[in-house]
Amino acid sequence: MAQEVRGEFYDLLAARGVTRRDFMKFCGSVAAVIGLSEVYAPQIASAIAAGTLQPALWLAHGLCTGCTESMAQIGVPDVPTIVLDLLSVNYWETVMAAAGTQAEDNITATVDKGGYIVIVEGSVMTGQGGNVLRIAGKPGVDELKEVCSKAKAVIAVGSCAVDGGWVAGDPNPAKATGVQAYLAQNGIKTPVVNLPTCPVNPEWVVSVLVDYLLVGALPPLNEFNEPKSLYSETIHDNCPRRGHFENGEFVQFGSADQTAQEAAGFCLYQMGCKGPQTKTTCPLVRWNRRVSWCVESGSPCIGCGTADPLKGGPGNWVDAGTPFLSRLADTRLPGIGGVQPSTIGAVVGGVAAAGLVVHGVVSASKGRIKGVPQESEKKFDSKNKSSEGGDK
Amino acid sequence: MARVAIDPITRIEGHLRVEIEVDSGVVKDAWVSGGLYRGMETVLQGRAPADAFYIAQRICGVCPISHGHASTMGSEAALGIKIPNNARIVRNIIEGAEFLHSHVLWFYTLTALDYVDVVSALSANIADTYALAEKAGTTTADFGAIQKRLAGFVKGGQLSIFTNGYWGHPAMKLPAELNLIAVAHYLEALQIQAQAAEIIAIMGGKFPHFMTSIPGGTSWVASEQRLADVLFRWQGVSDFITNTMIPDTLAIAPFYLEAAGYGKGVGNFLAWGVFDDVSMDPKKRVMPRGALTGLTPFDPKPEEVTEFIKHSWYDSGDNLNPAKGETKADFTTYDLNGKYSWVKAPRLNGKPMEVGPLARMLVAYVDGVAPVKALVDGALGALSKAAGKKLPPTVLVSLLGRVAARNLEAKVIADAMGGWIGEMVAAVKGGDSKYFVEATQSDGQGAGLWEAPRGALGHWVNVSGGKIANYQVVTPSTWDCSPRDDAGVRGPMEEALVGTPIADPTKPLEALRIVHSFDP
Ligand code: SF4
Ligand code: SF4
Repeated sequence: MAQEVRGEFYDLLAARGVTRRDFMKFCGSVAAVIGLSEVYAPQIASAIAAGTLQPALWLAHGLCTGCTESMAQIGVPDVPTIVLDLLSVNYWETVMAAAGTQAEDNITATVDKGGYIVIVEGSVMTGQGGNVLRIAGKPGVDELKEVCSKAKAVIAVGSCAVDGGWVAGDPNPAKATGVQAYLAQNGIKTPVVNLPTCPVNPEWVVSVLVDYLLVGALPPLNEFNEPKSLYSETIHDNCPRRGHFENGEFVQFGSADQTAQEAAGFCLYQMGCKGPQTKTTCPLVRWNRRVSWCVESGSPCIGCGTADPLKGGPGNWVDAGTPFLSRLADTRLPGIGGVQPSTIGAVVGGVAAAGLVVHGVVSASKGRIKGVPQESEKKFDSKNKSSEGGDK
Repeated sequence: MARVAIDPITRIEGHLRVEIEVDSGVVKDAWVSGGLYRGMETVLQGRAPADAFYIAQRICGVCPISHGHASTMGSEAALGIKIPNNARIVRNIIEGAEFLHSHVLWFYTLTALDYVDVVSALSANIADTYALAEKAGTTTADFGAIQKRLAGFVKGGQLSIFTNGYWGHPAMKLPAELNLIAVAHYLEALQIQAQAAEIIAIMGGKFPHFMTSIPGGTSWVASEQRLADVLFRWQGVSDFITNTMIPDTLAIAPFYLEAAGYGKGVGNFLAWGVFDDVSMDPKKRVMPRGALTGLTPFDPKPEEVTEFIKHSWYDSGDNLNPAKGETKADFTTYDLNGKYSWVKAPRLNGKPMEVGPLARMLVAYVDGVAPVKALVDGALGALSKAAGKKLPPTVLVSLLGRVAARNLEAKVIADAMGGWIGEMVAAVKGGDSKYFVEATQSDGQGAGLWEAPRGALGHWVNVSGGKIANYQVVTPSTWDCSPRDDAGVRGPMEEALVGTPIADPTKPLEALRIVHSFDP
């Protein structure tokens, strides 16, 4: 079923100092990132064998640089592979060699040539006539409009780029908004993919990029333009502490037993965990080369993956989630409705069974590569076997 | 006279513009303009102190740990909270991991490309490269394979992030073999910085932006297994700093000795101090609190900090202490004689202060902190040998000194971190299970005065009825990238740029070196 990779492609790789073996290894790591088995490396190889690298521009707007930092924390494929072998990132302020005029020339040359994709990090800054962000002596939004309008696709990375993020937090003093809403307001029709969380998880970025390189189109998106494969299930659906939630075993901050409760991996719901209403794959993909994630380290999820890109501002995760360490009065739990936390332990028993079978997560990209079989439904337990949750 | 604007300044955190006036190949005047206002201080008003911990760290994605800790300490000071000893140790380890991460990333990823000519590495002789690495006492790699990969990459014609770099610039001085060694370590450093960040992820959930150092202590609980995971990673990072980063610094420095002659800056230094010992006394921190004029020490008083706004785009009170500070954005126009920056101009007792590793290392050196003294004296000895004359400690007040100080500090912190991990292991074995205490009051005012890798950091917090009534932040880049104050006195980076030689005003590489030396 695997297509033969063209011979001349390997010559091309050889000219770049990459051996056939290195390349297949690379494809295997890419496969792992988008949730495929390494067996599918040949398909990936043939899809990437286009010869020239996809040009990309990474724009820095109202940012803290955390999303770039997050990209530097990826395991496979590593950063040099992404920026040297997968893409030609002609502009990326935080890591590029050029500065000033030379840096600006890189944007102009890429835009003139066309066929590039854009990655935006940071909020769209519209306050004070757009002057709350000045780049090259002009309002930053000028650059955003110009570069995005001629791009093939835009990837908004991190909650700030998606809907303004914390910068749009009430009273939104710098009038921050998100890329999708801003481009729509300005009549720019370039397709936008949204990848919220603060910062973005680097593995999600790579999966979207690779998907784009493979099929030349963006992955299937939900109503918020988020990839369905990444933003369909709640954190609560896949949380290793879920068993304790169902048993009504909660960590209580400030209580004498707090340390013992945390050591036992009790549920963080009573500390305000936003896992039940936040849809990301944090418990499965985890963070920092998969060593841990928020809940595993003892912190409730603060819902940094919550976003409202259509409105671009008012739905930001900070206003949606604060006060972070308080339980929301009306947390909607699947199948329970607004249950008061004190009674939750008793009530959830009845719905536990429904929560156990999690809708089969078949990476959406899988169905889109020819010859790759779909996976059947997975059970909650089997999916969590390998993750080292706190409830060992 | 040539007027040169560098905008955007790349390889930094955030948005910066620098304008310089160049005459006969030397910078005569300079202006530094911060290009971004987001309004964090305003967003935090009316929220809970614990919320500020999670939100305020998002000021900076490279040093979120320091902002998170300064925020939490500000709230704790306001609410009279004394954290348990375990929380102190946990925070030191997380903070230390961020410093190591940041210093490694800065040297190899952010500033190395100002000194290392990547294209020149193509002409390195491989056997000579191994010989040079051995002589310099630095680690080796598969130099042949790396050179081949680089050659293929350059031949492919799509240079990606290296497009339009300053390759072949006359101010690039390293031999091809040393360039190749540096390129190999540029790649390796990417792995090392990620390994340091994994320590934060284990103890704080993720990096950047961590989750556990909430006001009152930490929500993370240690176990022997988790500490073993931390120890293993610390060892890898620590080995790299000792056996690669320090030898690389000492191998590269002799080719840039002229950098000891400029980039001096304002000559006043401030450190709030970082890494508490059991006494929780800021003067006994591993990098202690202190200030210097020249090399004469004095006690920095937080109430003597004020911020000027004559040259910044704000319409609020001028010359205010941050405890009573105001932030009201008001863009007018970019005018170097009037307002030209989103950065305010903080001053200590009216004077501009340089902050950062050079400030911390000099404060500690003058204070007689033993490991700092030993390292600095050792480095001065090595540089004196290369220069052929004895170099006094004042030579560190320069571009060369600012770069070296950061790398030497990485070694001081890596060593101290081994001690904290040991303390934590002892605490677990001894059965100390206290990690968190609750606040008993809901009103008060306080400041978290701490350090980010790039310098002194203060979060001033005013809590009323359990909610934030006022919040003001003075970041390291506010100090270093400050515009002129109301008296027209330049900020530290502006002052450091004056006197810098510029070989080619269309490619102002040397000015970039000065800017990057502050790690803004
Ligand atoms: S810790 Fe949060 S996500 Fe996990 S089970 Fe409890 S409430 Fe759900
Ligand atoms: S677990 Fe929650 S707070 Fe943590 S990164 Fe994921 S969405 Fe953000």
